[in-house]
Amino acid sequence: MTIRNFVRKPVTNLINLVGLAVSLALVIILSVYSYSELTTDNYHKNGDRVYLFGDLTKGIYTPAILKEHIDLSVPGVESTVRMASAWEAPTFQVGNNDPITSDLLFADEDFFKLLTYHPVEGNLESALKEPMSVVITTMLSEKLFGSDQAVGKTMKINNDKELTVTAVIEAPKANSCISFSAIASVATRKIVFPNGDEFTEWGWCNYQTFMLLKKGINPDETAKKILALYPEIPPDNSAAKLNPFTKLYFSAFNVYGNSYLHHGDKKKIMILVMVAALVLMIALVNFINIFSSQWLDKIKQTGVMKIIGAKRSTILLNVLSEAFLLFLVALFIAIILVGMINPFIQNYTGIRFNPQFIYSPGFILLSIAIVFVLSILFSIIPALRISSSNAIDNLKKTIEQPVSNSFFGGVLVTTQFIIAIVLLAFTVLVQKQVNFGSSDLGFNQNNIIGIKLTPQLNGKKEVLKKLLQEKPNVERISFTQYYPGKQISHWGTHQDINGVKKQLSFDTFNADATFFGVLGLQLTQGRFYSEDLTTDTKKMVVNETFLRENKMENPIGAKFVMGMGMDAGLSEIIGVVKDFHYKAVNEPIVSLVMQNEPNAFYCLVSLQTTDFKSLHRTIDEIKTASSQLSPSFPVEISFFDQAVENMYKSELEFQRTFSLFAGCAIVIGCMGILAMSLFMCQRRIKEIGIRKVNGATIAEVITLLNKNFVKWVAIAFVIATPIAWYTMHKWLEDFAYKTEISWWIFMVSGMLTLGIALLTVSWQSWKAATRNPVEALRYE
Amino acid sequence: MIQLTNIDKYYDSKFQRTYVLKDIILEVKEGEFLSVMGPSGSGKSTLLNIIGLMDSPSSGKYLLDGNSVLDLKEKVRVDYHRNFISFIFQAYHLIEEMTVYENIETPLIYKGVKSHDRESMVADLLDRFNIVAKKDLFPQQLSGGQQQLVGIARAIISKPKLLLADEPTGNLHSTQGEMIMETLKELNNEGMTIIHVTHNEKFAQYGKRIIRLEDGNIRSDTNRKT
Ligand SMILES: Nc1ncnc2c1ncn2[C@@H]1O[C@H](COP(=O)(O)OP(=O)(O)O)[C@@H](O)[C@H]1O
Ligand SMILES: [Mg+2]
Repeated sequence: MTIRNFVRKPVTNLINLVGLAVSLALVIILSVYSYSELTTDNYHKNGDRVYLFGDLTKGIYTPAILKEHIDLSVPGVESTVRMASAWEAPTFQVGNNDPITSDLLFADEDFFKLLTYHPVEGNLESALKEPMSVVITTMLSEKLFGSDQAVGKTMKINNDKELTVTAVIEAPKANSCISFSAIASVATRKIVFPNGDEFTEWGWCNYQTFMLLKKGINPDETAKKILALYPEIPPDNSAAKLNPFTKLYFSAFNVYGNSYLHHGDKKKIMILVMVAALVLMIALVNFINIFSSQWLDKIKQTGVMKIIGAKRSTILLNVLSEAFLLFLVALFIAIILVGMINPFIQNYTGIRFNPQFIYSPGFILLSIAIVFVLSILFSIIPALRISSSNAIDNLKKTIEQPVSNSFFGGVLVTTQFIIAIVLLAFTVLVQKQVNFGSSDLGFNQNNIIGIKLTPQLNGKKEVLKKLLQEKPNVERISFTQYYPGKQISHWGTHQDINGVKKQLSFDTFNADATFFGVLGLQLTQGRFYSEDLTTDTKKMVVNETFLRENKMENPIGAKFVMGMGMDAGLSEIIGVVKDFHYKAVNEPIVSLVMQNEPNAFYCLVSLQTTDFKSLHRTIDEIKTASSQLSPSFPVEISFFDQAVENMYKSELEFQRTFSLFAGCAIVIGCMGILAMSLFMCQRRIKEIGIRKVNGATIAEVITLLNKNFVKWVAIAFVIATPIAWYTMHKWLEDFAYKTEISWWIFMVSGMLTLGIALLTVSWQSWKAATRNPVEALRYE
Repeated sequence: MIQLTNIDKYYDSKFQRTYVLKDIILEVKEGEFLSVMGPSGSGKSTLLNIIGLMDSPSSGKYLLDGNSVLDLKEKVRVDYHRNFISFIFQAYHLIEEMTVYENIETPLIYKGVKSHDRESMVADLLDRFNIVAKKDLFPQQLSGGQQQLVGIARAIISKPKLLLADEPTGNLHSTQGEMIMETLKELNNEGMTIIHVTHNEKFAQYGKRIIRLEDGNIRSDTNRKT
């Protein structure tokens, strides 16, 4: 019976089914994703006693020496673990295999006491005890050792010292804010990456300090005790607290570079969940519209109404079971669909979740239950309308029935239009914000490539420079510590500047004289340093924010101590640059000091714009040349503008996710409106004939049929605008630099919705209006 | 007024061509009252639809008021429907969502008559057909005869020259049917040209001239003696 009904009206039924299936697929993707995000880090056995020390809004970087003092004199702490990523991802080499670049986390040996991981090989309790031991994930183990057992084997780090694998762990099943492929102890870091006075000076803030508190210990009091350990409390950390680890994922902390530490965005998830709900709502509205129209028609046709008086419950059951069946089919299509589009979704939107999850019996049972409830909930209204005797009596004498029906349909379609307008407006805004974010960064990003300096390249900078200069198309070459999206040092010191005591806090990196030219930075005061390092050492260029934050009116010539320990010495400010967004644009610009020290991480090469082909040939040549200089380390070359884009990856992905979902919502909505107009035209076919016979033109008939839709869009526009404005306002709150909510966004969305609606409806209206009235009016 | 010459109407199906009307030659003068009779399926409605510009013949010539009216532009055809030709149907074909008053008013709106004028024109007709009391009712609340009266009122409100009625009494009891026929006769006496299709010999006699269709041909064409 159901199948026969389906075949009888294939178009509308297909619309109904496809709409439901697509929206359910989106809902599945988003709910699984949201679930995995919202349950982040809830699987650690001791998770509720783990805290991160720091001020999440200002800074979570703490000095290494802090741990020693905590261990010595803060009794409530069971265990303290410092964590830091390797500054740059190192290479691992097994035997004579090709070296593999991988991220590496350094943490104290109690790491596995704080966080729960499951070993495949080895014993985690003692895995990090010995220096030069390393624990790797199964994924990295496969890359390095294939299917062989890894424990006990050694690998060379950065073509230098040897690490011994002591354990292999499996990737956690659930999401975590901490991720790594390899982990070694802090003691190991001391050996493989010795870094100045990192372990003795309070000013070297390179670590996050996590700790496991003993049961029943008050974190706030402990935090005070820890703060008291500082000889001088740094400005960034004056409000430092112990932040519960389980809540860390949804906090907005800042980390730099390729960190092991990530955070999510609760607002984003909320917005996406809302969008999913809206998509579902649009599909459900379609469902109600199509479903009830069909049943009303069917009942009229077959004369079932005679028996309804007697057996209303049968009809009710009939309607409900047909609805449930439709939902069930849609659900299974949706599950298959999710499996199919999952890889695309992951690539395009960055929405990652475990696809196996949706095939688990628990999930399938739950979704069937939900679908059951939904189908009953949304077919009970039409079912009651159909089976209620009043409506049936009126079927023959259709006095008010069509009126109430079109009113009901009108409310539903208006709801769809409201959703469409809100989503469109929001899509435009997200686009606008992302463009705004990446358009004017205050520096040039095109035609620059970055060569990551491997240890071998670092030793041969002058040779590299000479080699590069000979290549065609190469314009300028600069050595710097800066690269978009990479870690930037942050310093906090107390200084005496021209006799005034100042507390300074700033980002800093090294850059040579050509750096300013390559990036096209604008000087507002003083000068850039000259190429000649012999005369121009210990000079600094600061940004405007530095002046503003430190209230310096005559900065040129001001001197303060840069560097620590052996390197320390007075440096002099010689120039001021206009502020530029060297970090992601949603992070506020902070004070910046650029020094002309030689230590660099990247070599930037600006290329002259010529044709694409020769540009690529040059890049290939550069790659070959630099690889020859660095035989033991793979050389990474990337486009500067792509690195910049990567800084906005999350915004970009959000924009894509949003557009994708909004697009789906609007397409599904369109299909629903199409079905609506189909029904409406069918129902009014006789009326249209009568009107035409009485002198109505085709245009007048189309106007008549489209009038309602225009009215509904207009009402929807009025309701949608404040809703859209409010949500936009909320969303933008988080951005340091926000785009304007311009009035044209609403106009564009309203007009677009009207246009799409009219186009959809007019297709049917045109068909109805141009029909020969003879057919409609023939007496049967 | 109407001059049909060699009118054919056929439908092509996969294997054969079915003629509904074949070589129809018919002239109807202004002021005539023509009854069309014939068995079901003989092409009466088709003929009426062709005369009423709702359908076009497969071949032949059709002069209406001296002008050829084949392959008209939409605008011209609509003009004929607004000012020249009106229809009455067996199933009345009133718009169910509209009141009696609104149904009658509809053609005037499409004709572009001002609202004030419309009011008095509709009031006149309601008065004439004695249905003033029903003007705010919906069609379903009227008897068949009353609905057909509304149908006639709607048809003649635009003061057409030609009234085409396809079995207007087909759904009515004989007394109501007679009332409708009387009304048509009255309209004819006032000068309106009327062509009506009927199965009823008695009602056919209201016409001044009767043609009988059979298999798409005019079998007989008789003028009734007065
Ligand atoms: N669109 C069509 N396609 C094929 N045959 C048609 C079509 N319309 C009408 N006919 C046929 O034309 C014949 C005449 O129909 P009609 O003029 O309605 O007859 P009457 O009104 O005399 O009963 C019928 O046999 C009908 O089946
Ligand atoms: Mg007929």
